[in-house]
Amino acid sequence: MSVSGRGSKLVALAASAALVLGVAACGSDDGDSGTSAGGKPDKLVLETFSEFGYDELVKQYEKDTGIKVELRKTAQLNEYRPKIVRSLATGKGVADVVALEEGILNEFKTNPANWADLTPLVKDHSTEYLPWKWELGKAADGRLIGLPTDVGSLAVCYRTDLFKAAGLPVERDAVTALWPDWPAFIETGKKYREKTGKGLLDSVTTAASAITMQIGGDIFYDAEDNIVADKSASVKEAWDTSLKMVDANITAKTATWSPEWSAGFKQGTFAATFCPSWMLGIVQDNSGPENKGKWDVAGVPGKSGNWGGSWLAVPERGKHKAEAAKLAEYLTSATSQVAAFKLKGPLPTNLEALKNPDFQSYTNPYFNNAPTGKIFGGSVEGIKPVHLGPKHQAVKEQAMEPALRAYENGEASATAAWDQFIKDAATQGAF
Amino acid sequence: MVAASARLWKTSPLTYIALVIAVLASIYPFYYMFVIATRSLDAINSVPPPITPGEAFGANFERVLDNANANFFKGVVNSVIVSSVVTVAVVLTGTLAGFAFAKLRFKGRNGLLLAIVVTMMVPTQLGLIPLWEMMQDLRWYDTLYAVTVPFLVSAFGVFMMRQYATQAVSDELIEAARVDGCSTFRIYWNVVLPALRPAAAVLGLLTFMDTWNQFLWPFAALTNENPTLQVSLAFLSYAYYTDYSQVFAATAVGTIPLLLVFVLFGRQIVGGIMEGAVKS
Amino acid sequence: MALATPARPAAPAPTGPPRHRNTGSAKRARWDMKYSPYLYIAPFFIVFGIFGLYPMVKTAWMSLHDWDLIGDHTFIGFDNYVELFKDDYFWNALVNTLGIFVVATVPQLILALFLANLLNRTRLRGKTFFRMAIFVPNITSVAAVAIVFGMLFQRDFGVVNWLLGLVGVDAIDWDAQRWSSWIAIAFMVDWRWTGYNALILLAGMQAIPRDLYEAASIDGANHWRQFWRITLPMLTPTFVFVVLLSTFGGLQLFTEPLLFGNGNMRGGTQREFQTLAMYMYEKGINSLNTAGYGAAIAWALFVLIGIIAAINLAVVRRTVK
Repeated sequence: MSVSGRGSKLVALAASAALVLGVAACGSDDGDSGTSAGGKPDKLVLETFSEFGYDELVKQYEKDTGIKVELRKTAQLNEYRPKIVRSLATGKGVADVVALEEGILNEFKTNPANWADLTPLVKDHSTEYLPWKWELGKAADGRLIGLPTDVGSLAVCYRTDLFKAAGLPVERDAVTALWPDWPAFIETGKKYREKTGKGLLDSVTTAASAITMQIGGDIFYDAEDNIVADKSASVKEAWDTSLKMVDANITAKTATWSPEWSAGFKQGTFAATFCPSWMLGIVQDNSGPENKGKWDVAGVPGKSGNWGGSWLAVPERGKHKAEAAKLAEYLTSATSQVAAFKLKGPLPTNLEALKNPDFQSYTNPYFNNAPTGKIFGGSVEGIKPVHLGPKHQAVKEQAMEPALRAYENGEASATAAWDQFIKDAATQGAF
Repeated sequence: MVAASARLWKTSPLTYIALVIAVLASIYPFYYMFVIATRSLDAINSVPPPITPGEAFGANFERVLDNANANFFKGVVNSVIVSSVVTVAVVLTGTLAGFAFAKLRFKGRNGLLLAIVVTMMVPTQLGLIPLWEMMQDLRWYDTLYAVTVPFLVSAFGVFMMRQYATQAVSDELIEAARVDGCSTFRIYWNVVLPALRPAAAVLGLLTFMDTWNQFLWPFAALTNENPTLQVSLAFLSYAYYTDYSQVFAATAVGTIPLLLVFVLFGRQIVGGIMEGAVKS
Repeated sequence: MALATPARPAAPAPTGPPRHRNTGSAKRARWDMKYSPYLYIAPFFIVFGIFGLYPMVKTAWMSLHDWDLIGDHTFIGFDNYVELFKDDYFWNALVNTLGIFVVATVPQLILALFLANLLNRTRLRGKTFFRMAIFVPNITSVAAVAIVFGMLFQRDFGVVNWLLGLVGVDAIDWDAQRWSSWIAIAFMVDWRWTGYNALILLAGMQAIPRDLYEAASIDGANHWRQFWRITLPMLTPTFVFVVLLSTFGGLQLFTEPLLFGNGNMRGGTQREFQTLAMYMYEKGINSLNTAGYGAAIAWALFVLIGIIAAINLAVVRRTVK
């Protein structure tokens, strides 16, 4: 038949052309040598999200070793995660060192073969870190896939000038005393609204995150990694408290990462946000140098808790695993952790760093000289590990927070929002 | 009244009012972009919105260039290279194939033309994951090959050139050249290409602008190490801390080359779209 | 082929075989005639085959699997497609895609037709200026449009809300509701494309022979009548072209709603403006273990575009004629 005749001609044409292209591609391979074979790499790629405070450390490392380090930063986890996923899926173009946040760590741990076992590559550091943090860096099969970077001990960042204008106390201990518990926090929000007509808190989702982490226990998953979002006590508590905050109208309804939120730091759209220590750098950069000294740090309502924190991992398919592991080791060392904390706020997990007088006596000039070393360092010991299931971050960002926001914006009733949350939790949480 | 003016609606003051409104709506977002780009950070959040440009453009753009994460300058250079190469290739392959489809007789012509039109319907996102994987295999990830080679041909270009050639190139001329013993390629080069020039110029300009403006694929295939302009813009505006004066300054600078092209060749683009682009 | 039918059925007459006396060159000429057309169209098919068709086929293959991007691939036949039919969010994305498409395209085409008709008037001064000015939005990148309009439609300090405030309308949280988000996104799309379409329609209008109007005005037909009876019917092929281009673009809508929602694939807290392309991306790329399902969405989107294009052709041809 003539159709097949035409077809085969085309196929032949395409095939011969593919051959030519293929040869050309092979040719270009030879020239592409970002690495000197066998020896030490010219360059290591370090993939991070948000702000780790590594800029200076990386420069130092380059000076010490002669190895160039490309520090990549992605703002939000929900953009960062797919990037890592894609590089792992195809196995090439992967970074040498990858930062994994606690909310996504367990997802990546379900395929431990993607990650290099660090045990033979670095010295034994097993006793140098917060024990639970160290343990979480291990996969089910026992291999060590992540070195601990930071934890996110909870605090509240607040604007002293706005508090003053609202007739609220300004001094950090007095502010902490304003809200021994969540109902008291809501009452403060109401007072603030009365005086200023504005929302005290940026949005209800940051509070919800804080509460789930405070209460701990099973959040979205139980110990066997079944999704239990609809039964979990911490979720229930966080949900109910969040709804009360919305009903009391104490938030500015500025969704995290939105332009309104970014602008809000400068414009004083809200006067407080929940600040795990890694958030300090974000608050600082969003508020700009002109607001230096206006922010301060106080304690959270209720008990202490942990929100966030990461590990550094080395992909199994990376070309320079040994060197990459050394870089990760360097960045998580006691001195590096203290340096990163001073620069952008991530709280050390290295026990020596936590005892370091330099760390303990550190006061943050941007935050009205708040003794952040003492504030955050003091609560680290009290942090208990919380079990986060494989897709904790996805359930939080793609199920719980959208539902809460829909309620906050008045677009969904309490039941509709809850139903949406539970439904999304089931799909987002599946693994 | 003369017959000539009776054939159409006449121009009234209302016509001008309506057109001026349309023009203002077209231009305001550009103007807003330049205003924000030249003001300090607070301008974007001031109410009522600023109306006049400020003097902070230099400072804003300096921050753009200092932003190591965005690699803006390299992005501009890369965009110029990629857009130029793609434009030349699309025009050449488009006119060649368009000529073949319009004026040459060969087996399977209609079927193949239909195939090309069908490819115009293919959502670009359809092959995203496999294509990305392919770039890895070819070691083209984060190189300009990744954003150039797949775009060297365009179904739209072939189709547009075919439509134009059907009407703009006279069969007699081709016949005459053939009788003179011209090869098909000579006919293309000496007869068809000159006749297609106005449409090819439009195709070239449209392709240049489209390539310059590509977002999704370059964003997936390149990193901030070796970005195109749009990727660089995304890295500026996706930062956890968004400095909008900086973003707008960069956006304005990224738009200026296109505005220049448009000021220089806008008449041809518009004329070409009107004369040649729609002989469908 | 229907699509390629020229405005006036001036059938393209391919050149017949030339008569050559010299046998050597005749042989060469015959070879030339027979094979060079394939040579000329080959670049397109080769490049498209490798970088367009192959990934598509691979996507089809993936859609038949439970495909984990960093894990196993299990063949499951058409289960993904079966699940698709039961998936509320798929239907939601479908409704959004079609809804935004209609909200954006209908006013856009009417406005484009209106502008084209204005520009087609006799003795219009500054013709070139007006044409260029309404086309200029089309030269900007989608990313730039989204950045600028994102700020214009911002809740607390945006220009649009400020303008609405002047006439007493409360600030609208544009991305919080379905209707408002659709409108904002439609604005971005229309701002960029209305002028372009107006010019194409204008070109179509100017190709209409003058004597038709002259004859009609002698018969006493007024402007509106001429518009309905002559302009619109004669504009059919151009209109088909414009509608098809809008369809291909509109159904693949991705970047505008994505950047409008601060880069979140979900498209609003309740997926108010998540399009099919975004849902595909969410399932196929953002989610590790549902790449096969994402591939199935990609194919559903492809089929949808085919169907809508066919309906477009049928409807536009019938109604305008």
